[in-house]
Amino acid sequence: MAGLLLSLQALACGYCVEDKIAATYDHAVITRALAHGRHVVFFHVDGAPVARAVLEQAARGRGIENGSARISPDALSLSVAFDPRRMPLVELNAWLDRKLAKHKASLLPLRVMERRSDLAAVKR
Amino acid sequence: MKKLLSLAVLAGLAACEPSPPDAYDVSKMDFTSKAAKVTAQGHKGAFAEGAALSMGAELKRLDAAPVKTVRLDTTHKVIEIAPGVKFSAWTFGDQVPGPTVRARVGDKIRFVMTNRSDEPAPVPQLLAAPMMHSMDFHAAMVSPQDKYRSIAPGQTIEFEFTANYPGIFMYHCGTPMILEHIASGMYGAVIVEPRGGYPTKADREYVVVQSEFYVKPSPGKQKVDGGPLYVLDGERLRAAQPTHTVFNGRHNGMVVNPLAAKPGERVRMFVLNVGPSKTSSFHVVGTIFDRVWMEGNPDNQMRGMQTVLLGSSNSAIVEYLIPQEGSYIMVDHHFANASQGAIGLVSTSAKPPAQDLEHHNMQASATPTDPDAVAGKQAFESKCLACHSVGGGRKLGPDVAGVTKRRDPAWLARWLQEPEKMLQTDPAAKAMLKEYNNLPMPNQSLSEAEIKQYLKYFQWIDAQPAGAVKSQAGGH
Repeated sequence: MAGLLLSLQALACGYCVEDKIAATYDHAVITRALAHGRHVVFFHVDGAPVARAVLEQAARGRGIENGSARISPDALSLSVAFDPRRMPLVELNAWLDRKLAKHKASLLPLRVMERRSDLAAVKR
Repeated sequence: MKKLLSLAVLAGLAACEPSPPDAYDVSKMDFTSKAAKVTAQGHKGAFAEGAALSMGAELKRLDAAPVKTVRLDTTHKVIEIAPGVKFSAWTFGDQVPGPTVRARVGDKIRFVMTNRSDEPAPVPQLLAAPMMHSMDFHAAMVSPQDKYRSIAPGQTIEFEFTANYPGIFMYHCGTPMILEHIASGMYGAVIVEPRGGYPTKADREYVVVQSEFYVKPSPGKQKVDGGPLYVLDGERLRAAQPTHTVFNGRHNGMVVNPLAAKPGERVRMFVLNVGPSKTSSFHVVGTIFDRVWMEGNPDNQMRGMQTVLLGSSNSAIVEYLIPQEGSYIMVDHHFANASQGAIGLVSTSAKPPAQDLEHHNMQASATPTDPDAVAGKQAFESKCLACHSVGGGRKLGPDVAGVTKRRDPAWLARWLQEPEKMLQTDPAAKAMLKEYNNLPMPNQSLSEAEIKQYLKYFQWIDAQPAGAVKSQAGGH
């Protein structure tokens, strides 16, 4: 939790958390995902700079909706739609972190959307 | 010696006089505010609400309430920025620029905004996809991370702040990419009067917001009302090469609808350049600015100015006298900008602007209930208001109020169906062309059903009491 708070403080450099989310917010992806019982999570990409292609490659498979990944290299953010029954958010986060570890990057979940118009804080 | 003593006593007395209170004493300013509240509670009413709001160039007087409750919802809509240039815009309060907020130093602004960019539209493919938006008030001194948060479609944010400094302040959407949000229309002005009011008395007060548009025909070749839909041109935007530079959101808008003033009157103009990327050299041909209060603060005064230079998000109050009968031309004296539409008139022959009785997204007058007449009204308001008024007098074409009494239905139907043929053969049509400076009415390629709807609407107008139905200038 302390780590999460520190990371959020570090973001206060011009981009609000919500602004990072806005950078990868795709209404069509969200509408489609929520209609099928999926959730959408918004991550801050922490650590070393990571190429878009690396993030695209990482955000594939195991419960992540095909074609749902949205990436903003400028805002250092990534969002994906996922099936929480196949892979809960905590597991998804850990799985993505393992894939990004060799690039010295990790993901910090900012908000998760489980219902329309509800960007909920991520409970850890 | 006696004289010296008297002087010393006088100096001592002067030193004892209490000095005027410091208007900028930060210990008396209010920097406290509750945390912003974000909810998933939507809103379905008017897009803009509040007694402190002015919707057009003419400013309402200051509302006396010390707390100004203001709603400015975000919407996506097609606006006409120049004749035939219908642009897929993003707005505050469903208009570009957004409504002007007027307050006084010490007032509290209680602000609420619902992101309604996801609301159903008649032709959704003409609008940008729903997206997150936010509000950044330059008039406020608050934590941006709390108050200026972006909210998702369907969400509502509420926060408040106290106006501590007088001025004309920009507001805009601050969601990345900010440049795109501003260039798409998400801006407006907050006027904060000094606590004791302005030191002069003005006869007219107008707000003029200068901005640039960067547009191109939609790559998908979408059409709106038979013409191309225009969308944001990202390349021109990043290169700061606007296609239109305008006052109050409309190319040459205040040439078509001049602002009114009488000889001898003092005009107070609140000028804000929102950019997003160009400066403005604001000038009024035929007069001199008696006073210029940079950033809208009378403590920043200059006298006898010809032009005031405003960078992006800079502002000034300019006050000037109307010396005699005439039309005084507001321009950006960077004439490349003026040639793109940043021109307007303050004219002694202009009619006073119609009172803005209600918000434009609410019915300003009676409305038909017959489905055909309703459809006719909607079509008329989207296609015809640039050239015709309803009960507002002549524009480029005749006032349609009373048209069913002047012409029979068959004639009107033919006129709507094939105006170009009528202009060849029909004496009444030929006479009308001459009367209206040889400006022919374009063929709108209307179907029979659409013509029937127009006629139903015109008949409905003429069945109302005289003056009961009036169109808003410009149309939406």
